[in-house]
Amino acid sequence: MYVRAVPTTDLNRNTEWFTYPGVWTTYILIVFFSWILVLSVFNCSPGIAWTVVNLTHFLVTYHFFHWKKGTPFSDDQGIYNRLTWWEQVDNGKQLTRNRKFLTVVPVVLYLIASHTTDYQHPMLFFNTVAVFVLVVAKFPHMHKVRIFGINADQ
Amino acid sequence: MITIPYLTALTTYFSYGLLFAFGQFRDFFRKIFDWWRANNLQGYAPICLGLEDFYTRRLYLRIQDCFGRPIASAPDAWFDVVERYSNDNNKTLKRTTNISRCLNLGSYNYLGFAASDEYCTPRVIKSLKRFSPSTCSARVDGGTTTLHTELEERVANFVQKPSAIVFGMGYVTNSAILPVLIGKGGLIISDSLNHNSIVNGARGSGATVRVFQHNTPLHLEKVLREQIAEGQPRTHRPWKKIIVIVEGIYSMEGELCKLPEIVAICKKYKAYVYLDEAHSIGAVGKSGRGVCELLGVDTADVDIMMGTFTKSFGSCGGYIAGSKELIQYLKYSCPAHLYATSISPPAAQQIISAIKVILGEDGTSRGAEKLAQIRENSNFFRSELQKMGFEVLGDNDSPVMPIMLYNPAKIPAFSRECLMQKVAVVTVAFPATPLLLARARICISAAHTKEDLVKALEVISQVGDLVGIKYFPAEPEKQEQLKEMIKMD
Repeated sequence: MYVRAVPTTDLNRNTEWFTYPGVWTTYILIVFFSWILVLSVFNCSPGIAWTVVNLTHFLVTYHFFHWKKGTPFSDDQGIYNRLTWWEQVDNGKQLTRNRKFLTVVPVVLYLIASHTTDYQHPMLFFNTVAVFVLVVAKFPHMHKVRIFGINADQ
Repeated sequence: MITIPYLTALTTYFSYGLLFAFGQFRDFFRKIFDWWRANNLQGYAPICLGLEDFYTRRLYLRIQDCFGRPIASAPDAWFDVVERYSNDNNKTLKRTTNISRCLNLGSYNYLGFAASDEYCTPRVIKSLKRFSPSTCSARVDGGTTTLHTELEERVANFVQKPSAIVFGMGYVTNSAILPVLIGKGGLIISDSLNHNSIVNGARGSGATVRVFQHNTPLHLEKVLREQIAEGQPRTHRPWKKIIVIVEGIYSMEGELCKLPEIVAICKKYKAYVYLDEAHSIGAVGKSGRGVCELLGVDTADVDIMMGTFTKSFGSCGGYIAGSKELIQYLKYSCPAHLYATSISPPAAQQIISAIKVILGEDGTSRGAEKLAQIRENSNFFRSELQKMGFEVLGDNDSPVMPIMLYNPAKIPAFSRECLMQKVAVVTVAFPATPLLLARARICISAAHTKEDLVKALEVISQVGDLVGIKYFPAEPEKQEQLKEMIKMD
């Protein structure tokens, strides 16, 4: 019922909230409840609902984790202005538990979405593109890499 | 250690996610609207990118009326709060001429010197007439009066160090001293919850900064060993010097530093200790001399002792106390001493008189009474709050007690409800505290009487029930327990 909140050594206020207990559960619960919401609003089949959830998840997480750079407050005087959220998490250390969890979630979503749509096109194509982009963006080798200068600074 | 109910953690994350999503939507539509409207920038770059002040615009401004409330009297135990109203949903606030007399639970008025004092105020007024409000000069030019030299001697004597130097502003003391003490090639190891002034000073110094887990001497030792073994980044040469920075009482947690263990570790690895006693000087310890006295640490072991006069002494400014050579060096090199205007003479006189009262040199025992009063008040208040079921942080004897709120919606709810019942509290949220751990911070003063504290407890208990922050089970009264036992028989 109660959990302990140990203060972290992460000074970056933008990412240190991810180290407290309850984040992973909240993430999974938000994904699950948005599936139920899509089902109730659009009255579609469960497979289409999972595809919709997977694609919105792709757009939202790509935008906030891998596209937006910097922090939403100015206290830190812009020292993280060149780094996306993904590059700021855990102070840039690769292959931590948080990063592994966040890499597994799109894969699991892909498996659920493709299974419940019976691997039919065109949903399979879109789902595959989504998971491919998300997982490649999270590779340790892609740290601070800007392909073709997309999203690089001036 | 903060224990959160798991469900509260989940709902807090969800609430922040919702607020964030709404903020993003509004920003998105604002961008579309502004596309059409001509901007009056005329080719200049905008002052800030849209993302930098996202938090201020979309989250802070919504509850702006809970922060920065203007007051219209001295910050004594009871003070006048100016009422404000807003016509555009808190984006701008307008002051009215109405004031409401509220109980002050937010000012750092630990010993009650914030309001007019029978010993200090006449002397301050006399020095105001003699020396005028400002010296209009830096210390090295014409700004050193007899008050300044007397103040430095008294501070050194109070803190039990050979010598001290005094500055006009507390924040500046940290941020201007650290760049002078250490530079590139040095290592600063600071506690993860240190104050922003220390973080700024450390960043400005150019030294490498490492952080150790809050108040965990074992982790400090681990970081020290690792860093000493590795040496400077890239060249791996040994560090020029290592300074470990800790605070006496952490203002957001209310807990004391584990000073004896940390000093022992620093002695072992030959690192300097910098102790920031902003909240603990004058408020803890048998004769008010701070955490060193309370925890039994010899002041000769702490190399640099820093403190401010804004909390317990009712004045402004900060000081650094250390060895004669250190203070002499600072007087030659610190920009806050060479270029900044010296501390205002009436403020200096207030500190001198306050120190005299605390040490009992004014002939009365008011100092000792105040110290006993604040200890009693804090312990009583904290134990009552814990009995009611609130989650209160901080050690015993510490006059700062944060009450955990967690959910972002409870912050303005608690603040506004308490203000309606004439109790003024300070609520703190992200980014001053971690995202999950928003709190209402209560500062007890020696000027609070027992009736004030009882009224505050009633109001906080009522508001706590309304807002739903009693996360721990309340302990029933012992008498009721006894009655029930008798009934059962």
